[in-house]
Amino acid sequence: MIQITKKLTGKKYWRSLDQVYQAPEFQDWLNREFPGEAAEMHDEPSRRNILKLMGASFALGGLTACRRPVEHILPFSKGVENFIHGKPLYYNTVMSLGGTAVGLTAETNEGRPTKIEGNPSHGWSLGGTRGYHQASVLSLYDPNRAGVVLNEGKNSDWNAFAGHIQNLQGSFGNGAGLRFLSEPLNSPSFAAVKKHALTRFPAAKWIEYSAIQTNATAQPVIPRIAFDKAAVVVALDSDFLGLDDTSVLAVKEFVRGRKITNEDSPVMNRLYTIEPQFTVTGAAADHRYRIKSSEVGAYASALLSAIQSQSNPLKVVGQGSADKAIAAIAKDLLANRGKSVVVTGPRQPAAVHQIVHQLNQALGNVGPVVTYLKTASEQTRPQIDAFKELAGEMANGQVNTLVIMAWNPAFTAPADLEFEASLKKVANTIYLAQDVDETAAASKWVIPAAHFLESWGDATAPDGTASIQQPTIQPIHDGKSPAELVAAITGYKDQKAYDIVRNYWLPTLSGGEAAWKKALHDGILPAAANTGTTTPTFHTSVASPPAASGFEVLFVPSWSVFDGRFVNNAWLQEAPDPITKLTWDNAALLSPATAKKLGVGLGDVISIERNGRKVEGPVMVQPGQADDTIVIPVGYGRTKVGHVGEGTGFNAYKIRTSDSFGFGTGFNVTKTGRTYPLARTQEFDYQEEPKLIGFQSDVSRPIVREATIEEFKKEPNFANEMVEHPPLRSLYGDYDYSRGQQWAMAIDLNACIGCNACMIACVAENNIGVVGKEQVARGREMHWIRLDRYYTGSVEEPQAVTAPITCMQCETAPCENVCPVAATVHSPEGLNDMVYNRCVGTRYCSNNCPYKVRRFNFLNWHLNEAEVTKMVYNPEVTVRMRGVMEKCTYCVQRIQNAKIQARTENRRWLKDGEVTPACAQACPAECITFGNVNDLESRIAKLKQSPRNYAMLAELNTKPRTTYLAKLRNPNPELQPANAVEEHRG
Amino acid sequence: MADLAIRDPHVSPVLVEGNPSLHEVTTDVAQIVEGINRKVPKEWYMALALTGGLTMILFAMLGYLVFTGIGVWGNNQPVGWAWDITNFVFWIGIGHAGTLISAILFLFRQKWRTSINRFAEAMTLFAVACALIYPLFHTGRPWRAAYWLLPLPNTHLSVWPNFRSPLVWDVFAVSTYATVSALFWYVGLIPDLATMRDRAKGLAQKIYGALSLGWRGSARHWRNYEMAYLILAGVSTPLVLSVHSVVSFDFATSVLPGWHTTIFPPYFVAGAIFSGFAMVVTLMVIARWAFQLQHLVTLKHLENMNKIMLATGTIVGYAYATEFFIAWYSGNPYERFTFINRAFGPYSWAYWTMISCNVISPQFFWFKKLRTSIPFMFILSIFVNIGMWFERFVIIATSLHRDFLPSSWGYFVPTYVDMLTFLGTFGLFLTLFLFFVRFLPMIAVSEVKGMMANEAMHSAVHGTAHGPDIHAPAPVSEPVSGGLHK
Repeated sequence: MIQITKKLTGKKYWRSLDQVYQAPEFQDWLNREFPGEAAEMHDEPSRRNILKLMGASFALGGLTACRRPVEHILPFSKGVENFIHGKPLYYNTVMSLGGTAVGLTAETNEGRPTKIEGNPSHGWSLGGTRGYHQASVLSLYDPNRAGVVLNEGKNSDWNAFAGHIQNLQGSFGNGAGLRFLSEPLNSPSFAAVKKHALTRFPAAKWIEYSAIQTNATAQPVIPRIAFDKAAVVVALDSDFLGLDDTSVLAVKEFVRGRKITNEDSPVMNRLYTIEPQFTVTGAAADHRYRIKSSEVGAYASALLSAIQSQSNPLKVVGQGSADKAIAAIAKDLLANRGKSVVVTGPRQPAAVHQIVHQLNQALGNVGPVVTYLKTASEQTRPQIDAFKELAGEMANGQVNTLVIMAWNPAFTAPADLEFEASLKKVANTIYLAQDVDETAAASKWVIPAAHFLESWGDATAPDGTASIQQPTIQPIHDGKSPAELVAAITGYKDQKAYDIVRNYWLPTLSGGEAAWKKALHDGILPAAANTGTTTPTFHTSVASPPAASGFEVLFVPSWSVFDGRFVNNAWLQEAPDPITKLTWDNAALLSPATAKKLGVGLGDVISIERNGRKVEGPVMVQPGQADDTIVIPVGYGRTKVGHVGEGTGFNAYKIRTSDSFGFGTGFNVTKTGRTYPLARTQEFDYQEEPKLIGFQSDVSRPIVREATIEEFKKEPNFANEMVEHPPLRSLYGDYDYSRGQQWAMAIDLNACIGCNACMIACVAENNIGVVGKEQVARGREMHWIRLDRYYTGSVEEPQAVTAPITCMQCETAPCENVCPVAATVHSPEGLNDMVYNRCVGTRYCSNNCPYKVRRFNFLNWHLNEAEVTKMVYNPEVTVRMRGVMEKCTYCVQRIQNAKIQARTENRRWLKDGEVTPACAQACPAECITFGNVNDLESRIAKLKQSPRNYAMLAELNTKPRTTYLAKLRNPNPELQPANAVEEHRG
Repeated sequence: MADLAIRDPHVSPVLVEGNPSLHEVTTDVAQIVEGINRKVPKEWYMALALTGGLTMILFAMLGYLVFTGIGVWGNNQPVGWAWDITNFVFWIGIGHAGTLISAILFLFRQKWRTSINRFAEAMTLFAVACALIYPLFHTGRPWRAAYWLLPLPNTHLSVWPNFRSPLVWDVFAVSTYATVSALFWYVGLIPDLATMRDRAKGLAQKIYGALSLGWRGSARHWRNYEMAYLILAGVSTPLVLSVHSVVSFDFATSVLPGWHTTIFPPYFVAGAIFSGFAMVVTLMVIARWAFQLQHLVTLKHLENMNKIMLATGTIVGYAYATEFFIAWYSGNPYERFTFINRAFGPYSWAYWTMISCNVISPQFFWFKKLRTSIPFMFILSIFVNIGMWFERFVIIATSLHRDFLPSSWGYFVPTYVDMLTFLGTFGLFLTLFLFFVRFLPMIAVSEVKGMMANEAMHSAVHGTAHGPDIHAPAPVSEPVSGGLHK
């Protein structure tokens, strides 16, 4: 039976009883549109009625304008001066690392800093930065930072500490038991506080200490080398392009001599490096020789005699090896008197520095190229001597109060001084702690240190230029600056950092308040120029490591953690070492021959021991390293560190003693039989295809193309001729890119040194996730720009080239065709746009990208992220969720901002240099040029015309917008290097 | 023993042994289903426990994947696709045998197909079901992929899928394939479902009845049926070639050396048929032993399938040789290196497994003794499937792990999630098979009887003594229908 289902519409309510009773009148009433009588006109239409109606409707017509009474509400318009919501504010400040100040510009969004750039006005930045500066903003938001005053491990506060200091005042006396331990000073206002402290407590002592020695010459001078004035540079164990200079000035100046400005008659400087480890300076060199650290002194002496005995005609004997090259190097130096320089690094003892100074003197370089500038530090003794004395006094119980402002001396101090144990013998230890580390665990009072981005201070560059360090955010954890701590302890006239700095500088400025504001605005202060001297003294009293059999161990700073202070900084940990490409750990680097001799390979754990002190660490084989030498980056293996740095690497400080601060001799190595996994971002190091079977022909892929300058002169088009391919035609017609702004990039391989500044700048700008060691080992790191390092030549004496690889923004991009949901499309300005919210994550685009620049979010990299860490994100860039592909966008957010800005100024065409991607801006070598290739006056358009300009994998017809300027080396024609560049044909 | 020496092309070899009557053929097959359902043997439950357990593992792994991310697999940069797409192509490939048997052999009038086509087509459907898991779940955001890959109208006006992408072609090809295969299989089932209906009682009768769409076995019904069957066979035939060609386009249209080659469509199709037949042989050998169907699925049938395996395996071997030759002949250094790397690089163990299983092993089927030996062909068919899995893995992983820029070279290692997911798809496949075997007649009874009747007519017309004498006990004039005999 068919049942008509009842439609449910809810209860029916009656309007009135009449409805219920169905009264006919009510029915009528119900059915009317207007229950009143408005629908009826009782009178018949007469002329009078019509006119009445017309008049009424005319009069009432205006009622359509009637509406609710208007009520005005008032917005809270009391905003922050200069603050436009959504637009960033920039503040100039300065950061000191290793005693070198680099002026910075901090970009702040909504009152918090999110990105660091170099300050173009600052002489030691000139707009560029190092990776450390770029990553410093993440350290500000480190959830494991010291946040609370600790008294013997228990939470306390500043007032309790102040009270304790009050009680201590009586016991200070003339300061006989009072010691201050700080980083090398370059802050004038802090120097004033120090002066006051030492005046008030004449018997107190102030010791400067840093774990990475930057100056082995004489205090208080440091060498100032104008690399752009040197046509020939000889680096003896000096990584001046890398970690031996934490500023970017050496890079900037040196690269000026590398870039080809006139391609018809190209001129380049020449760099010889003679070093035990493979550094980025060695990678940039035209000739690289490897010798042991202990042999550098002898080499320098030999070079000196070769220079001094110029009366004998110099014969170049043999080829390739370091000794035989001395004559050629000497000849080259002599031919460039007054415009050459010999440099050596901080790991070499002072005696070697003295020889090098004599070399420069003999060559007439001192004055034109090399001068020695007075440092702000007043420590006249060798740093290690002062520190040893302090440790001795502490052990003897002569120290009553120790104020530590140096970073983690208990961790970094030479092992033979037993500093950590001595700390316990000091009655009052006060430590200004960045995080609760090894020294904090051994100190009585731990005061949280203020990060440079959240505190007032100042710093001087070596030439005397001062910069005010101004905070960009309220202190997150109520930290104190070192000046504030000392001021509190010693009763300085000003107690707050702002007062200390301002009251120091204001009287010195002739313009008063306006000048102070200008100094804050510009980031630099005209200060008394630092005069140089040409007659430094050297602390040759500090002994060099004695000659001994066994292995030499070289203690080098780490690109990631420097001396260990950045262990909890995830961006730095994940940024691979430029040469080894190792992340999240350090390793004991061995040369291939040494590794073979010991029978160890990648990941095998060895034990390194001397005089009862030993440490165990995994091996990495490093081509080009000196034999019987172990290179260990220091700073890893910390025990008291946050969750990012926990369990990373091994502690090389355990075997570093006061007589082997830079390198040590006489170590023993044994195999342990264990292995340790190491995570590298690049696992294959050669452009030559591996020989898998005998009949394979030798093929070297022409990815990073290189030639000598002589070859370039003969054959300017060598780069494009390295690959033969048929004419590149597409089935589809080419898109017309001749109109409008077309973005493109050119990367000068002559300039890139591989320093990682661009990588970390990109991570900061684009909110790139950190994946951790296990995921890096699986190959899932997220860097949008990577630095590919290839070795060429033999395994023992290789050369290295580095190429930054980003998304090439190909005009005929292989990735665009294959995305099933059209999540990657091409913009009319030539960018390959990645649409995150459309991406479903099939990864076909990544498979089809021949450059492999696309990165997939395999997991949720932001899971359980601390709230404070989220403050570092750039609000202009989406944070991608898991399952979505991402890649370099040429910093499209910056391009869009520049276009918006131009539009408000009523123009559409952007000027050259108006928009710079983060990588190009950070690069200290200025190797990345970005711009509108349709603007014929722009730098990029000119670079694209260069014969050196080539596209990587052009034979695939991807038409990449990012092209490369082939690398040139300038070898000495008299030296046929063992690492001669191979010619690639076909 | 089947007589394989064919003298008269008009006389087919004996395809049904033991001279059963038409009715006996029906009961032989129907009683399998009825027997199981009357009292479900514990072996079926044990098998279901095993395969069902694996299926549960599959769902658990997929759930873990969706909630945590693709990172639970071993995929990385540069190997963006690994087990996920390998398994997808593996399962789709297996499905092709069923369609070939059902459709192409039908159009070629290969009568021996009738005993195996239902089974094989079921295998196709279940294989496609397993395959379809992967394109959906290998995406980073499957909850989006589910509908953004389809050309559905949406509020964003013209945001359609990117029709230039082979993955979109895949969507169309595989969904067409699934739909047409299902239809074809179902239509073919109708007369047999009617048989089951006529023999069943109670709920079973109602369900079979609904499914058999009122089949009465009338001449009109038969005419419509034959026409529909022919059309579907005609539609399915190009699918055998096109679907796997489209799947191969996933690789062939890319720029990667080792993928970017025009040989892929025929090479993949041949490989698909090769692996599909191997899977049919594997399953059929078990089924005919378990259900005593040796007289319906004779050694002749198995031997024919082995011959197809030999032919397609040889084609696949030839394709390997061609690839190698062209890689060398092209002079393209990337291409050359890819192939040297395949054979002698870090994945050489996978490569040589593939070669020995795919190229060497089917060649044993030149020997009649081996191709008619049940244990041998069973083991060999498993080797072939292992080899074909490795072929897809070698193609995908070796081309991806070392491509143009040596700096991005890497290595892929599967995780336990990869492995359990794959194992779980076997569980799903076999679970579906267990249900198929329990509820549906696994041999196309109506078609077998039709073939037998046809034979009988031929013998009578040509007057030869070849062929079984199917006239006893039922008379020739008895209508050959699938519905009315009890």
